[in-house]
Amino acid sequence: MLGLKRDKKDEEDGFSLNPFNNLEKTSVLQEARTFNETPINPRKCCHILTKVLYLINQGEHIATTEATETFFAMTKLFQSQDVTLRRMVYLTIKEMADLAEDVIIVTSSLTKDMTGKEDMYRAAAIRALCRITDSTMLQSIERYMKQAIVDRNPSVSSAALTSSLHLMRSSGDVVKRWVNEATEAASSDNIMVQYHAVGVLYHIKKTDRLGVSKLVSKFTKQSLRSPYAYCLLIRIATKLLEEESDGRDSPLFDFIETCLRHKSELVIYEAAHAIVNMPNTSARELAPAISVLQLFCSSPKPTLRFAAVRTLNKVAMKHPAAVAACNLDLENLITDVNRSIATLAITTLLKTGSESSVDRLMKQISTFMSEISDEFKIVVVQAIRSLCLKFPRKHGVLMNFLASMLRDEGGFDYKRAIVDSLIGIIEENPEAKEAGLAHLCEFIEDCEHTVLATRILHLLGREGPRTPSPSKYIRFIYNRVILENAAVRAAAVSALAKFGAHCEELMPSVVVLLSRSLLDTDDEVRDRATFYLNVLKQSNKALNSAYILNDCTQCKYNKALNSAYILNGLNVSVVGLERALHSYTQEPSETQFDMKSVPLATQPLAEQKAGAGLFGAEGQQGAEVTPTAKAPDKVAATRQDIYAEQLAAVPEFQGLGPLFKSSAAVQLTESETEYVVRCIKHTFTNHIVFQFDCTNTLNDQILENVTVQMEPTEGFEVLSHVPAASLPYGQPGITYTCVALPEEDPTSVIGTFSNTLKFLVKDCDPNTGEADEEGYEDEYVLEDVEVTISDHIQKVLKPNFAASWDEVGEDYQMEDTYALSTVKTLEDAVKNIVDHMGMQPCERSDKVPADKSAHTLFLAGVYRGGHDVLVRARLALDDGITMQITVRSTDETAAEVISASVG
Amino acid sequence: MGFFDTLARWLGMRKKEVNVICVGLDNSGKTTIINKLKPQNAQQSDIVPTIGFTVEKFAAASLSFTVFDMSGQGRYRNLWEHYYKDAQAIIFVIDSSDKLRMVVAKDELEQLLNNQDILSKRIPILFYANKMDMQESLSAVKVSQMMGLEAIKDKPWHICASNAISGEGLDEGVEWVTDQIRSMKK
Repeated sequence: MLGLKRDKKDEEDGFSLNPFNNLEKTSVLQEARTFNETPINPRKCCHILTKVLYLINQGEHIATTEATETFFAMTKLFQSQDVTLRRMVYLTIKEMADLAEDVIIVTSSLTKDMTGKEDMYRAAAIRALCRITDSTMLQSIERYMKQAIVDRNPSVSSAALTSSLHLMRSSGDVVKRWVNEATEAASSDNIMVQYHAVGVLYHIKKTDRLGVSKLVSKFTKQSLRSPYAYCLLIRIATKLLEEESDGRDSPLFDFIETCLRHKSELVIYEAAHAIVNMPNTSARELAPAISVLQLFCSSPKPTLRFAAVRTLNKVAMKHPAAVAACNLDLENLITDVNRSIATLAITTLLKTGSESSVDRLMKQISTFMSEISDEFKIVVVQAIRSLCLKFPRKHGVLMNFLASMLRDEGGFDYKRAIVDSLIGIIEENPEAKEAGLAHLCEFIEDCEHTVLATRILHLLGREGPRTPSPSKYIRFIYNRVILENAAVRAAAVSALAKFGAHCEELMPSVVVLLSRSLLDTDDEVRDRATFYLNVLKQSNKALNSAYILNDCTQCKYNKALNSAYILNGLNVSVVGLERALHSYTQEPSETQFDMKSVPLATQPLAEQKAGAGLFGAEGQQGAEVTPTAKAPDKVAATRQDIYAEQLAAVPEFQGLGPLFKSSAAVQLTESETEYVVRCIKHTFTNHIVFQFDCTNTLNDQILENVTVQMEPTEGFEVLSHVPAASLPYGQPGITYTCVALPEEDPTSVIGTFSNTLKFLVKDCDPNTGEADEEGYEDEYVLEDVEVTISDHIQKVLKPNFAASWDEVGEDYQMEDTYALSTVKTLEDAVKNIVDHMGMQPCERSDKVPADKSAHTLFLAGVYRGGHDVLVRARLALDDGITMQITVRSTDETAAEVISASVG
Repeated sequence: MGFFDTLARWLGMRKKEVNVICVGLDNSGKTTIINKLKPQNAQQSDIVPTIGFTVEKFAAASLSFTVFDMSGQGRYRNLWEHYYKDAQAIIFVIDSSDKLRMVVAKDELEQLLNNQDILSKRIPILFYANKMDMQESLSAVKVSQMMGLEAIKDKPWHICASNAISGEGLDEGVEWVTDQIRSMKK
């Protein structure tokens, strides 16, 4: 009866399963004083220690004084000879090593246990000892560690070896002295000791390439007993092969291949895994590894089947032909009782299979989609996405499948993977656009994830107006305005405005809808509605394109600035703008603040990836519409802002104006030469500053007064040098050379400079670094630096190129036709043009659709001095490639320079 | 001494446990003394400087001693106090050949005596004037003068010259401690 009653109470509590629940820190620490009592009660003390450990592992914060007190009380327990209690003490020492002070108090007690006769103590004592030892104390226990490593007891030896690995992090040079002991341990009969010893040896020699390869070749010759050690060797060998890159003839590869015939399955799998994951393996090398995995596929052990199919799935895209050989075995695995194996098998088949089998496989996979976890569902989604890219014609089936998955239950990551895939498919495949948008519209009708909803709304705003019937999206978007939270409403308002700006017939309706949001409860929504409404009412194409369609940077951080929306048109660097405004307010002048003096933002990397099928700018934007502004990380200083600051600190460059662009660094020497020099070009309005980063790699020389003499082509004029005063061994120094751009002929901006490094050499003692008094002049010839058109142009992304094209107008238009004889394909042509111009491809025009014979490339940029430049290049492929290029700019010189540069 | 007591001791059952703390400057011979007091088969052949402390056990006459052998190095001396509380006797080892640092030892002793946990207790203190075999070593009387031991009025204390390597003089001290503890129990 009593028991029953208690059971019921337990159920109500729901917690009673865990006896340590609701532990109070203070009461436990109070209890810990029991440790001071004599005689010691081991059972009781064990229990208290367990409680302390539980508290620490629950993340309870124990202050240093409390921890120290408890720790010292615990040290008294060393007088008990109870084995269980002592081992509990070791555990607690390890946990409290960082919490308490003076933990080294137990050093001698632990050394005693570690060298003692009780085997139960020894291994654990070593681990605890190494945990409390810092690099200064290590000397005193070094002797014991060396003995322990070669101890006959495997557990002691293993413990010492693993502890050495941990110690390596803090005091690597002491551990390095144990190499002889570790080598001895490596020939141990015990598989664990051998494994750990090989690990320690590898870590000791990690930084020394030759040492590592010697180590590997030594162990590959003498056969090891331990399969774990073999696996480790395979990994080390793979790493060496990667760095080496001299083909597959090396003995390392032979070693990995022989491991395929090892008797342990562990080693066989490791070897096969290593081979299939190597870059650039040939079919012949791959075949044995794949056949091993194929064998595993039909193994009775589920772990082996799983490992094999997972590996095959990973490399299916890389080596489809090789994996296709296993198709028959994979087909059998589809019906495997283990759902994880089945999922991986199907997705692998999807990746390698032919177009005809897609329907059948999709049907099969849908039968058990509900039974697998989110993690595997994401694997399926990714497989479908890559399938869509492979067979664009199948998009109907696949998109329907994705849409039905969207409707099912699932976590955020899962839904995001689906939405990502759908958006990716829409972007890659224009035929799928309408169906995809329809699916997404349906999804946002019932979407609980704000981030996804805002992202989709942004996509609708961008893509929707350009579809044949834009009006059908308005309903979905307006529903969001009525039903959703503030962040989604704001995104929906922006999307609506884009429809209004793009489609004139929808304008009146959009104006009506927007005016309803004027009384919204949320500031952001109201602000956006008011702003867009006013812009739309102007019915001005240029305004629309500047402020609505090209609404590219976020308006989050603009709130602080009155000139907020100007930012949207001009992609200025926010840090730069802040600096410029600050200096403007500090020194009031008569002239107005000039936006063009603000350095332009370098395109975020994500945007450049936009063509890769991911969505860079859109994704970011979608995420940022949420009220929790991500502004701080967006405003982080770019590389260029850092250079700008460095240059501003040099007095010679005060009068040059704002920094326009900094190029990537170019090496002017081979990397192994005496002096290593690289050059960065900084473009200003009328000047170019060359920054030379020089490194002296000779330890017996000090260079002084280092300059770079530049021999320019005609028109350029070298104005000044800023020498690096002293260049000691190994410390990089910077010297600048300032060059004025040709004034009389503003269109000749391209040139080649030959450079010579001039300096005063002083010999010095390599050890002390003391230099001789006397030096002598010397010089060193560097490679040439070229100034190209791309140094004068900054990339700018215009999301709506056509609108910007009209906005710039025909005033300064240049047109010309060229035949490109050197390139054979449209892709190469596009890539060459983009590289040459250094401009930003817009509208995803840098991706050439397959099997088309004509393509139009849109490029946008800003020319030195702040003039917009737009380029439209029509390419046609017949025998060679014919290119008709049209340049528009707000400045005549800019247009001329760019069209001239093409020839 | 009753019959049952004798019987119990004969059976090896009931020896009274005593907690002792062994302190002193570094290199005065604490660990060597404790090592020598242990049974022959448990002794260690080489003694290294103690870091922190070690716990040792040995039996003498009717008592079983648990000794906390503390490290004497300067940076660990402030850790002694953690172990004062449950000590029933103190062994203070002095290097009688090290005249120079005798003042340091005296200073440490004063700190020990002024500690809260020691001050209130009538706890026996045994001094070993160790290394008596050395040429320049001082006699026990001289050491006690230099250490100012006469000033200790409220605690029983005893000093004896010892040689930890040969074991000479050690038993005398242990016997004194045993007597003191037994008399206290009465």
